[in-house]
Amino acid sequence: MGGHMQSWRRKSLWLALSASWLLILLGVFPLLRLAVPARPRARAPQGWPRWLDAELLQSFSQPGELLEDGPQPPQAPRGDSCNWGACFDASKCRDGGLKVFVYPAAGPISETRRRILASIEGSHYHTVSPAEACLLLLLSSDTPAGQCEPVPAQWDGGRNHLVLNLHPAPCPQTVQLGQAMVAKASPTVDTFRAGFDVALPLLPEAHPLRGGAPGQLQQHSPRPGVALLALAGERGRWYTAGTNSSACPWDGHCEQDHGPKQTPPGALLPNATFCLIPGRSPDAWHFLQALQAGCIPVLLSPHWELPFSEVIDWTKAAIVADERLPLQVLTALQEMPLTRVLALRQQTQFLWDAYFSSVEKVIHTTLEIIQDRIFGASARPSLLWNSPPGALLALPTFSTSPVDFPFYHLQQGSRPVGRFSALIWVEAPGQLPLKLIQVVAGSQHCAQILVLWSCEKPPPPRWPETAVPLTVIGGHRKASDRFFPYSAVSTDAILSLDAHSSLSTSEVDFAFVVWQSFPERMVGFLTWSHFWDETRGGWGYTAEKANEFSMVLTSAVFYHRYYHTLFTHSLPRALRSLADETPTCADVLMNFLVAAVTKVPPIKVPYGSRHQEARPPLAPGSPGLRQEPQPAAQDCINQMAAAFGHMPLVSSHLRLDPVLYKDPVSVLRKKYRSLEKP
Amino acid sequence: MCASVKYNIRGPALIPRMKTKHRIYYVTLFSIVLLGLIATGMFQFWPHSIESSSDWSVEKRSVRDVPVVRLPADSPLPERGDLSCRMHTCFDVYRCGFNPKNKIKVYIYSLKKYVDDVGVPVSSTISREYNELLTAISDSDYYTDDITRACLFVPSIDVLNQNTLRIKETAQALAQLSRWDRGTNHLLFNMLPGGPPDYNTALDVPRDRALLAGGGFSTWTYRQGYDVSIPVYSPLSAEVDLPEKGPGPRQYFLLSSQTALHPEYREDLEALQAKHGESVLVLDKCTNLSEGGLAVRKRCHKHQVFDYPQVLQEATFCVVLRGARLGQAVLSDVLRAGCVPVIIADSYVLPFSEVLDWKRASVVVPEEKMSDVYSILQSIPQRQIEEMQRQARWFWEAYFQSIKAIALATLQIINDRIYPYAAISYEEWNDPPAVKWGSVSNPLFLPLIPPQSQGFTAIVLTYDRVESLFRVITEVSKVPSLSKLLVVWNNQNKNPPEDSLWPKIRVPLKVVRTAENKLSNRFFPYDEIQTEAVLAIDDDIIMLTSDELQFGYEVWREFPDRLVGYPGRLHLWDHEMNKWKYESEWTNEVSMVLTGAAFYHKYFNYLYTYKMPGDIKNWVDAHMNCEDIAMNFLVANVTGKAVIKVTPRKKFKCPECTAIDGLSLDQTHMVERSECINKFASVFGTMPLKVVEHRADPVLYKDDFPEKLKSFPNIGSL
Repeated sequence: MGGHMQSWRRKSLWLALSASWLLILLGVFPLLRLAVPARPRARAPQGWPRWLDAELLQSFSQPGELLEDGPQPPQAPRGDSCNWGACFDASKCRDGGLKVFVYPAAGPISETRRRILASIEGSHYHTVSPAEACLLLLLSSDTPAGQCEPVPAQWDGGRNHLVLNLHPAPCPQTVQLGQAMVAKASPTVDTFRAGFDVALPLLPEAHPLRGGAPGQLQQHSPRPGVALLALAGERGRWYTAGTNSSACPWDGHCEQDHGPKQTPPGALLPNATFCLIPGRSPDAWHFLQALQAGCIPVLLSPHWELPFSEVIDWTKAAIVADERLPLQVLTALQEMPLTRVLALRQQTQFLWDAYFSSVEKVIHTTLEIIQDRIFGASARPSLLWNSPPGALLALPTFSTSPVDFPFYHLQQGSRPVGRFSALIWVEAPGQLPLKLIQVVAGSQHCAQILVLWSCEKPPPPRWPETAVPLTVIGGHRKASDRFFPYSAVSTDAILSLDAHSSLSTSEVDFAFVVWQSFPERMVGFLTWSHFWDETRGGWGYTAEKANEFSMVLTSAVFYHRYYHTLFTHSLPRALRSLADETPTCADVLMNFLVAAVTKVPPIKVPYGSRHQEARPPLAPGSPGLRQEPQPAAQDCINQMAAAFGHMPLVSSHLRLDPVLYKDPVSVLRKKYRSLEKP
Repeated sequence: MCASVKYNIRGPALIPRMKTKHRIYYVTLFSIVLLGLIATGMFQFWPHSIESSSDWSVEKRSVRDVPVVRLPADSPLPERGDLSCRMHTCFDVYRCGFNPKNKIKVYIYSLKKYVDDVGVPVSSTISREYNELLTAISDSDYYTDDITRACLFVPSIDVLNQNTLRIKETAQALAQLSRWDRGTNHLLFNMLPGGPPDYNTALDVPRDRALLAGGGFSTWTYRQGYDVSIPVYSPLSAEVDLPEKGPGPRQYFLLSSQTALHPEYREDLEALQAKHGESVLVLDKCTNLSEGGLAVRKRCHKHQVFDYPQVLQEATFCVVLRGARLGQAVLSDVLRAGCVPVIIADSYVLPFSEVLDWKRASVVVPEEKMSDVYSILQSIPQRQIEEMQRQARWFWEAYFQSIKAIALATLQIINDRIYPYAAISYEEWNDPPAVKWGSVSNPLFLPLIPPQSQGFTAIVLTYDRVESLFRVITEVSKVPSLSKLLVVWNNQNKNPPEDSLWPKIRVPLKVVRTAENKLSNRFFPYDEIQTEAVLAIDDDIIMLTSDELQFGYEVWREFPDRLVGYPGRLHLWDHEMNKWKYESEWTNEVSMVLTGAAFYHKYFNYLYTYKMPGDIKNWVDAHMNCEDIAMNFLVANVTGKAVIKVTPRKKFKCPECTAIDGLSLDQTHMVERSECINKFASVFGTMPLKVVEHRADPVLYKDDFPEKLKSFPNIGSL
């Protein structure tokens, strides 16, 4: 009984308590909530509000407004400043392309100037008639101060004129410039008319006219332990700081802090990864020195326009930084990823070699920039200016599509077009290359055969039936004819042959497959090597069997058809006529050209020994296969080295063979088994 | 409450000893507390009324409710824009000095409504596009709400269209911004500058030093390297759905779709149409259509009606002529249609021309050459036209299609100026994704042959085969160009032999001890490597002759960007299994070389250690296999080039260890290696390996020539 009572009481107590709790909870909390102001919550960055009525906002322009913005009449060019469209009459250049007339000097001229004139006259832009020219070039005076140029006869307010000012002129305003374009060294950013003027590099007095010193970079990555920074000092000197340099270049305490070595005057090139160049210093040729040395220029707020900035993408080779943020710049340099450092370093060298190493290159680059402006839509794409071998060696008259050139397949993710054209040069009617035609036509990669008939007698009317089309082209009986860009060539690859060349189909097949891996190189069978002849004090070359080689004979060689264009249109006339006089020189010249472009050796593939015995006797005057070159021919290598300004040939120690070549395994396994026939 | 909960937890242990009265008390208390907790919880999650929820989510307000600011008539006015401004003169870069990750920080002023003395609004508060623009900035990594840390300030005063605002008062509104300071580091966005009759090409609002992102700059008003030229946004980009149309020949060669053309231009265009007939189409407004929004979407030629912008997709080239303003929204529509814009607007600074290469996507024709347009365009080869069409469409997708794209590209350009060492490259701005994907930029692109004098560093990875290791060291030390020998001691349980026991060799020998027994230790970029050339060699490779190694080094010098090795291997596609297969010796082709002995540039050690894609590095360490295949993949992927196999050697077979070379072992080996190839190909997303049919031999290898005159007579065997 008591238990019941107790349990009832317990229950009622239970209920009452719960009920009161509930009441308190339901009633008091909301009251508390209202009474106590919500404390400000810590928030993430709130950002721009999402407006409730965002959808209702008006557009910035009314529907018709964009269409009807009131037509305006064509505008006349303003007189105070010039741009390309307004101040250059490109219609004169429409037919003949860029033709340049150079004003002759009024009085006696300096040696440098004479050589510059000679260099322009030797180029394909030059014309002797001012009426025919679309660009009139006025070389700004480099005569002693005081003798200023008179206004030339065809001045016409400076229209279609280019005033070329390689060295700071003694009389700065030679003539009233008017509508003339100005090409001068390191123009200030404020006076430079982008897209109209041309910014040149500041060249030292003794800059070589042609060829020029190669870049100093010998390896891709910086040598371990090399200084991080070099600082441009007075009169072309450089100060280097230690590897873990602090901000010393900025606070001027380099000497005390690190005891850096001041480079002796005269020994000029900095040895560091980065070269700091103050922006205000007018001697911007520190910049060129850094390029040549492969030292990445770090320009602190430069007040001058970088050379050829219209076409050269300087972000790939230099760093333009704000001088007001020294610590950030220094940290950025120290922490720069290795990949970027490598890319910048290599680009400095490429640019130096392609555009800056000689006066001739600087002038030609200037003219090519103007030509690209004239071409408009058919100008070179940026890739051709900014990757090896550079725009002077990538002619837009050949193509403006990078995939047509042998150099850009990697960047484009492309491959050279599938097959090859055989180009057989026939000099004597007695040596009809009938067997050779069958051998070449037997190759699965052969697309066509072109016979370059270079004899007085007409070619025979009938040619053997072949699996591929055969075309006869009439030649002019000149050795340089072999390298003319014939429009009949329909493939990227050319197999250049002499009538007396002896090859087997599997040799052709294998060589072509190798060429596909190296489309920018020449892939040949027979080789020569060059050497420095101490006794004669000059270059020589030999066909002796040797452990290395630097040239392949063009009597049997694969190369890209672009080299025909380059041979015919970029080489100076004098060199081509040299090749015509001595046919062996044509071989040497072609090898020089390709080596100068690629900077790598050609490739040799195996060549059966049986050919050498089976070969018919040579016609007199034809290239001496396996014969010691004639003394007259020996000299052409020196003439060419002089014309190129340096020796471009590079030696190779290797031959590319099929993977199982002459291995002691079953011939049945081998793809190119007939290559090994004795 | 906390205390009682704590007590209750201890409860069960106490209860048996307590009196009933107490027990009731405790049970009651416990229940009440439990109930209280449940009730509180329910209260928290109970759906509340809308008013109270606003406290808890993002602020939602109406544009109409923003604070009103009254501008006194005599409040200060900024100077006109300073034409000589450059980043290093007018931009205060110190404000950006401490932004981490080379990223500028952008602050947006809060939205206000500005009215003049008498309460008349200065402009419409904000347009839909400017709201989108500020939202895009606010959502980006650039945004900060901390005004003290900002490097760039964006006013919320909408100046996109000059026609919708009062110039003087807007300038006064700008001048009273809290951090205005003569406009330093302030960025204004304007797409429609100028007004009748002479339409200036830049915003007329005086703005002192502020940067201007303007649509329609001319070379006379554009401050190169300071202002940013932006597109005029076309609202059709969002309103109309226009599926992409691939490049190729189209019905019309040249099309003009603009309606408000100067009569002189229209005459020129119609003359072209008369001359070239069907291939040129000059459109105009439709006169017979009823007014309204629809008129914007229609164009007419005589009585024929065309849909706009769809008609643009029927043309190869589309004229974009200067109107009163230089910047035309039609440019955006034209690009989108994959029609190559023919820009006839002298001195117009094209959008984002600081970074975009417009030569690739457009043709610029001087106004006075308009009559020659047709012949100029005809001289462009078809392949280049298709390239331009593709490029035009890509420019639209990347930089024109939305206000967000325009805003972010503008900020990226300014960011790149301030942190040039972290700037985006030409290729990243300009190459369409398909090109970026297919192209390779070789990190060692400069053609050079390193000097022989530098020599190479041999790296021997070893665990405990000391005897064999010593033989390798002795053999390798005979190679003339060896400059240093590095032994990587991969055994943590055992010390390397004492100094005195090591073979005495003519070059420095260093032993590096590793922290863990991992295969990847062999490819670590040790500071001790002073040369560019590295010879990776296993501690059991004793069969390679000195000539063979020296020749390998010479070959590497001619191909410093490639892997140069001895035995070659091949990958093949297995059509039955539908996957890659590893192929061993006796093939006519190679695509890999074994790194049991291989020369390569030390940069690849850096790449292997720090830039190996995906989990490959750890996967290799875990499986203790295939590090060589991984290296082959890596090098081929970054250089796009094949390996070079040298000399006839087919396998690294040591004469003493033939016993373990069993057939079954070979089988599992091949399966494992095939698995590696499939794994790596899937991580790389592609098959980077290149197959070649050649190997490198000395020039006179097996030639009929006196052996003693050959440079490398002892070139080894299979």
